[in-house]
Amino acid sequence: MSNHNITNIENTFESYLKLISLYTENKEKWLETIDVTISGWFSANICSMLGAILTKLQNELNTVTIDAKDSKDILERNGFLAFFGQKRVFDYQDTIIPYQVLSTEDDRYFNNYVFKEFISKSELPKMTRVLKNKLTESIYEIFINAKMHSGTHKIFVCGQFFPKKKKIDFMITDTGYGIKNVVNNRFNANLSAVQAIEWAVKDRNTTKENISGGIGLSLLYEFISINKGKVQIISNEGFWQLSNGEIATNTFENEFPGTIVNISVRTDDQNTYMLNSEITDDIF
Amino acid sequence: MNIIKLSVYSITGDSFCIAAEDGEKVFMQLKKAMDEKMPIDLSFLNIEMLTSAFLNTAIGQMYDSFDENEIKSRLSVSDIKDEDKLLLKRVVDTAKAYYKNPSQFEESINKIIAS
Repeated sequence: MSNHNITNIENTFESYLKLISLYTENKEKWLETIDVTISGWFSANICSMLGAILTKLQNELNTVTIDAKDSKDILERNGFLAFFGQKRVFDYQDTIIPYQVLSTEDDRYFNNYVFKEFISKSELPKMTRVLKNKLTESIYEIFINAKMHSGTHKIFVCGQFFPKKKKIDFMITDTGYGIKNVVNNRFNANLSAVQAIEWAVKDRNTTKENISGGIGLSLLYEFISINKGKVQIISNEGFWQLSNGEIATNTFENEFPGTIVNISVRTDDQNTYMLNSEITDDIF
Repeated sequence: MNIIKLSVYSITGDSFCIAAEDGEKVFMQLKKAMDEKMPIDLSFLNIEMLTSAFLNTAIGQMYDSFDENEIKSRLSVSDIKDEDKLLLKRVVDTAKAYYKNPSQFEESINKIIAS
């Protein structure tokens, strides 16, 4: 049996480091009991990352228990604790975007989640139609990226609205190969995890063979730049962040087993995102 | 019949055109239609959501199979929202650049390694 205390988990490099340490310390365990105590602040969207880690540990037949202390209410209502031996509570109202484990093989299930549990909720902060479309487009592009490149069958999603702060946080995690491995295998290269992320977010860069692509992550990059929000990508041991137009990178000592995309979108954004001069019928 | 009309909604059976697999279905129909040497109208009526992955497969890979000028002279789109038109234009421009030089990505990786 092992006990782990994770404290004050926010959308920061330091917090992700704590969760990667939790994974590293337990990843070789088999048929053990792993008790996790969550104390202090816990950003609900990070259920996506924590859920992915704990599910990997459960897959090794370990029993995972969670004592969520101050965060018990929110982690119960967003459905997270039900995946770890606790009674399921049906209360997806107000500002919650529930924790879900979705199959990458079933796009319709993902559609249902995005529209029923997220975009069409009456409690969603007021946003322009254009912004709502851009947000939806971004979520789909992240999902399809995970589906096409990660090699996993499941993705872990969770989010939270902040009506007073006028923002939405949303995280999508896969436990696949990670960007570094996909890029290096495809090109027989030896890029670091950060270099591989930097390459992947550039417009038109793709690892797909015989077909063009590489637009999805750059659409996200452009949207978040204009929105003045934040996007973070954690993949293998790489950390990449765009926040207020500035890019920051960092490296974890140990690697995360897959890829996480975390977005923070400002909901009071009035940008049009489309100039009339850009619209053309001369497409081909 | 002097124009072949294809509907994305009819081909995929869904308003949400997300996955590359669905794009492949549209591509196969487009390819069949291109072989008939007639003008083609591809309608996006009833389509609510498109991703770049879907469009890369549905339309982007046309530039691997057919000449750019032939596509331009025979293929048109209708009932498409302005924002989707922008995305499609971007997919098309990316595809044109890609098929002109598919090895450009190896070159960009080599640049990173060399820097």
